[in-house]
Amino acid sequence: MSKIKSGISSSFTAEQQKQRRRRIWIVPLGFLVILFLWAFIGKRSLSAEDLARGYSYTLYQFPLLNVVLVPVMTAVIASRLCDMEIKGNTLKLLCTLQKRSSFYDWKFIHELKYLLIFTIGEGILVPLIGMFCHFTQKLPLPLVFLHVGTTTLVSLVLLTLQHFLSLMSSNQILPLLVGLIGSFLGLFSMFFPPRAARFILWGYFSAFSPYGMDYDSQTRVMSFYRIPFPTETFVLFILFGLLFFVVCRTVFVKKEV
Amino acid sequence: MLRLCVKAENKKLRHSVIWAACILIPIIPAIMGTFNYQQNLGILTGKWYSLWSQLSLFYASFFYAPLIALYCSYLWRLEHLNHNWNVLMTAPVSIPNIFFSKLAVIFKVTLITQIWLAVLFLLCGKLIGLPGWVPSQILVWILRGTLAAMAIGALQLLLSMCIRSFSVPIGIALAGGVAGLVISNKGLGLYWPYALMLMGMNSNKNEDTLAGHSLSFFLSVLLFFLAFSGISILLLKKRDVKA
Repeated sequence: MSKIKSGISSSFTAEQQKQRRRRIWIVPLGFLVILFLWAFIGKRSLSAEDLARGYSYTLYQFPLLNVVLVPVMTAVIASRLCDMEIKGNTLKLLCTLQKRSSFYDWKFIHELKYLLIFTIGEGILVPLIGMFCHFTQKLPLPLVFLHVGTTTLVSLVLLTLQHFLSLMSSNQILPLLVGLIGSFLGLFSMFFPPRAARFILWGYFSAFSPYGMDYDSQTRVMSFYRIPFPTETFVLFILFGLLFFVVCRTVFVKKEV
Repeated sequence: MLRLCVKAENKKLRHSVIWAACILIPIIPAIMGTFNYQQNLGILTGKWYSLWSQLSLFYASFFYAPLIALYCSYLWRLEHLNHNWNVLMTAPVSIPNIFFSKLAVIFKVTLITQIWLAVLFLLCGKLIGLPGWVPSQILVWILRGTLAAMAIGALQLLLSMCIRSFSVPIGIALAGGVAGLVISNKGLGLYWPYALMLMGMNSNKNEDTLAGHSLSFFLSVLLFFLAFSGISILLLKKRDVKA
């Protein structure tokens, strides 16, 4: 037992040390600043009616922004942590020192740490924007938690993909290219019929969005309505994510270094 | 000498994955923009102009800058690897030649990307039965967007030169693009380099937003280009390399 514990602690510490002074936390923080600026500047001059549905608007807007930002952000985080092994040509050495699966998992856990800075930070931004913009709507706290949970889940699956690609390709252009294409596809999947959109992994942020929007082009008035939580899709997505992680991990473990 | 440097930089891009990005990325907005246009024919009545508004909607705002950033990161990554900085800095060529040869290659790839986008725009328009040819005004917008890439190219080359990570400059470009959309909506786009492309390409607009302000736009592009190129050359001259 103590051997396992020391193995875990040394793997964790090794990864931790590799990230010293790399300031990777700036990446999620920078994206949070952009998110805040976008949401805040757009809501500075709202009417009383708009303020009464401020949180609905924010919780509708954030998943849309996540579709643009998160695929590239996960690509940047994964690439930042995995590229150090590719650049330093250390994979061969590492695989003789620790189990490949453990290396893969610990790297992923450390990436997850930076992802959580973003998703939890996004959850904190919701009441913060409400406070700065003086929303009159009551803060729907359960929906904020739900938003943080679903955003973390979808981001985690995207991170699984990016983590795998970053470790598999010697050239980091491929994972970044996938991240960019993913952002694009995710955005456009919002114009697809819902059934077709479910085939686009990067578009799931909007699939779990707690609010939908109706826009009347005649009166130019938008209104928000609650979307029932798609429990079945959520469970299937979790199962898919787990399976996807296992497949990616197995492929990496069996790959020739 | 500059010609020789450009030739060397071109060789570095042979068989590179960069060309896949150059070809693949513009296909997505072309297909999706056309699809969206077809779905909203009731509101979008400006024919070629409306199709352009849909095609350029996301491309110019969110993806054009990261695409150029990808090109720049790739070009500098080659120098960041295998102690190539030492080789680069001891080569018998002047510092401005090193920088401008890289910029020339970036501009060439961007130009090809933009030409490819224009071809796709024409093809999509013809496939859905739009009458006539692409209005010359839209071609001017595409050209303006390409010119704005000079400023972004210089900025991204500077970032990729200083930041040894491949991915971080791309993240900065995306964040800059998103901020650019907000800033240009506030009417301050000429002061933010990442907003210049969407302003130049007249993204998601039917009427030319730069009508009467073209001179300020070109001046802004020129100033940013000179500033970022100047800083890059200065850093290359003064700073010690980290090979």
